[in-house]
Amino acid sequence: MEQIKIPGGETVFQERLDNGLAVMVLPRKQFLRTYGVLSVNYGSLDSKFKIPGEGVVEVPPGIAHFLEHKLFEEEEGSVFERFASWGGSVNAFTSYTQTSYLFTTVEHARESLAYLLEFVNAPHLTEENVEKEKGIIEQELQMYADHPDHRIHSALMENLYHEHPVRLDIGGTVESVRSITVAELQRCYDIFYQPGNMALVVVGDLDPYETCELVRSSYPQRQGAGFSAQRIDPQEPSSIVQPWAETQLPISRPRYMLGFKHDPRWRGQELLRTQIAMSLGLKLIFGRSSRAYAQLYEAKLVDDSFYASFRALPRVAYSVFSSETDQPEALHERLAGIINELKGGGVEAGEVERLKKQFYGMFLGSLDSFEYTANRITAQYFEGTPYHRYLEVLGEVTTEDVQGALGDLLDWERSSVSILRPVNAHG
Amino acid sequence: MDLTQHQLGPGVRLYLCETDKFKTLTCKAFIQQDLKAREAASTALVPLLLRRGSQRFPTTRDIARELEELYAADFGSDVLKIGERQILEFHFRMVDPALLPKGEELLRRGLEAFWEIASRPHGNGRFFEPYFEQEKEILLQELEGLVNDKRAYALVRCTALMCGEEPFGIYKYGDPETVRSLANQEVYDHYRKLLNDYPLDIFVVGSRTEQAAEALAGLVQGREAQVVLNAPQRVEAGEPRYFEEAMDVQQAVLVMGYRTQITYPDEDYYALLVANGILGGFAHSKLFINVRERASLAYYVGSSIEGSKGLLTISAGISGDDQAQAVEIIQEQVRDMQEGRISDQELEQTKRGLISSMNSMNDSASALIDRNLIGVVHDELRTIAGVVEAISAVTLEGVVRAMEKVQLDTTYILRSSSQKGAGHGTD
Repeated sequence: MEQIKIPGGETVFQERLDNGLAVMVLPRKQFLRTYGVLSVNYGSLDSKFKIPGEGVVEVPPGIAHFLEHKLFEEEEGSVFERFASWGGSVNAFTSYTQTSYLFTTVEHARESLAYLLEFVNAPHLTEENVEKEKGIIEQELQMYADHPDHRIHSALMENLYHEHPVRLDIGGTVESVRSITVAELQRCYDIFYQPGNMALVVVGDLDPYETCELVRSSYPQRQGAGFSAQRIDPQEPSSIVQPWAETQLPISRPRYMLGFKHDPRWRGQELLRTQIAMSLGLKLIFGRSSRAYAQLYEAKLVDDSFYASFRALPRVAYSVFSSETDQPEALHERLAGIINELKGGGVEAGEVERLKKQFYGMFLGSLDSFEYTANRITAQYFEGTPYHRYLEVLGEVTTEDVQGALGDLLDWERSSVSILRPVNAHG
Repeated sequence: MDLTQHQLGPGVRLYLCETDKFKTLTCKAFIQQDLKAREAASTALVPLLLRRGSQRFPTTRDIARELEELYAADFGSDVLKIGERQILEFHFRMVDPALLPKGEELLRRGLEAFWEIASRPHGNGRFFEPYFEQEKEILLQELEGLVNDKRAYALVRCTALMCGEEPFGIYKYGDPETVRSLANQEVYDHYRKLLNDYPLDIFVVGSRTEQAAEALAGLVQGREAQVVLNAPQRVEAGEPRYFEEAMDVQQAVLVMGYRTQITYPDEDYYALLVANGILGGFAHSKLFINVRERASLAYYVGSSIEGSKGLLTISAGISGDDQAQAVEIIQEQVRDMQEGRISDQELEQTKRGLISSMNSMNDSASALIDRNLIGVVHDELRTIAGVVEAISAVTLEGVVRAMEKVQLDTTYILRSSSQKGAGHGTD
């Protein structure tokens, strides 16, 4: 196995099996728990693709998430109970770009790992169980529809994107979910759930070679042509859809979210470097140590909910700023002034250097979370970014890089604002 | 992993857990007091004020800069409610000094910053007035903002209605009317009293705990007599009550509150813990299987216990149209348990699941500390091994005996008025 040293004195053992599956093991001495996560490079954005010899296929929104629910269905018994019988637990999640199945257990780690591989590779889709799931997913969507954070983000994506599927909820809509058929689910499963399109990460006090051998020997043999689909993203115009939109919800006070649309043009180490530079830049605006935050807080334009984030995936990239506020218009004006000042050369070297110390510490501290670390290793494997070089790249990022990233990416021509306003909650 | 206990002075206990398995050093301090309306509101303001500034770091910005210099050290403060006690918590986390340049020096500097921020707020004999005024507003917004998270809101409302005549009915952050009436001097005096006279328990997990203990012993000084606290009130469930609240929501939230008459010191406490697990603590539990998997009525449904006051709470996100059916299925599950319809598999899986999650706590510094809170309140700390043994010893008869004491008190539903009424769900 290839050994990749990561900062903090740990090593990731990595191997690509003959069937294409990437296996990555992070041994952690003294820990009792084993965490395993099997991920498919398949998320809500993958709704249109080309199959060699078949042509272009387009499927209803929410299908990746629907599949995630359905893989817990077994011909006999329940996946939940099987893990429970070992004292462990199992769960799954779907994002824009990946679907992940995970377990955590203290005992029977080998059995749990083998069964994770087994159940994800054994779909059991019937008319009856697919219909039954629709009620559960509908309630999940309704739950999110009542979440202000979720609603404001969805509305912002609709403002920023004309065609790109990032404008749709990961779970789809009640209508699209109702329309999903067994045949469509099976087809997407067959196309994307190929070992060559999947990665397994295991963290715990275990031997990496034995673990890899276990995976090799117990990975189910499946018929399949391997992974050959080509994902198709629609032609997304550079422009935004609309600069400002408001939604009403039964909440206590307004919420503001500003978004900037970027071209997802970075790859590999360049993507990591941009993520770091831009995250440092945003900290100069929303970080508690920034002058900007102090000004906005004292002016009562933001509260502790104020944050900003930069999200860059290989196929989509955007930045958001958000806070609860009584005065969305006034906040927008002040924030615009702050952003323009920083873009105009306001990035100070001393501030960047101090924030780099913070990022250094955060990286080391994050290694205590198996979940966070494993998910990061997975995402970076699919994205091709060198996670193990994080501290090195962080060390190389300069004040000029931060200045450049802010100036380049916070383009007002490609920005939009989403507002939630309260309607009388008890009306 | 075991804790060693030290007495640091009147009413101050220090617990150390020396280990090098984590990349961080975690320290938490808890001050407890009886839950009372005025004190609860007063105390809820303290965390907000502390983060604004201290004597040495007079602004949020100064605090944040110091923490960044310490490689992402983290200071936080919050209030918690355990039974009929309100707890003021301070926590501090930093990267394991062994991983940092000049680590020992940074550890000392970090703990000094921790206690400086926790115990020497900006101001002279009271809180800095502009901070006090603004943070009062922020707390009021926070209280009004509870409605933004519909599930959390429904749980708090059900508790307030159920325990309206008992201290437990008080929300951990107090109520808006009391907050509005608070004066700076009053809040400050109460805060000083908390620091000086109330029981203080400090936990440190990580490497270098000896040095940490030395530094803390020097910092926590000048404390006086100790206040004696009350035990929680026990109340019998009366006739079941039903409350309905209308709001413009997509999804209804159903909450059913039961009285268990069983608390941490009781013999049947672990039997109740297992009973709750069988009923609704896991994905293999009765509620999950019957309400979600069989009837497709909910995405989330589960139960939890409050082990200090003696309550069991069930909550579910459902369509308002399904209210009657959901209540019926839930009550059937409770009844089944009271009448002993529990399989060996349900019992064993649940015990294994609880034991596994107990053992998993060894892998998280925060969990290693937080799991002791209920013990701190009841003045009886228990080891993980002791709890595992107690859970292992739980029998089917014990579970049934515990469930027989569980009585429905209050049913509450938050729902849209436009959905068709399902009538009163309780029988």
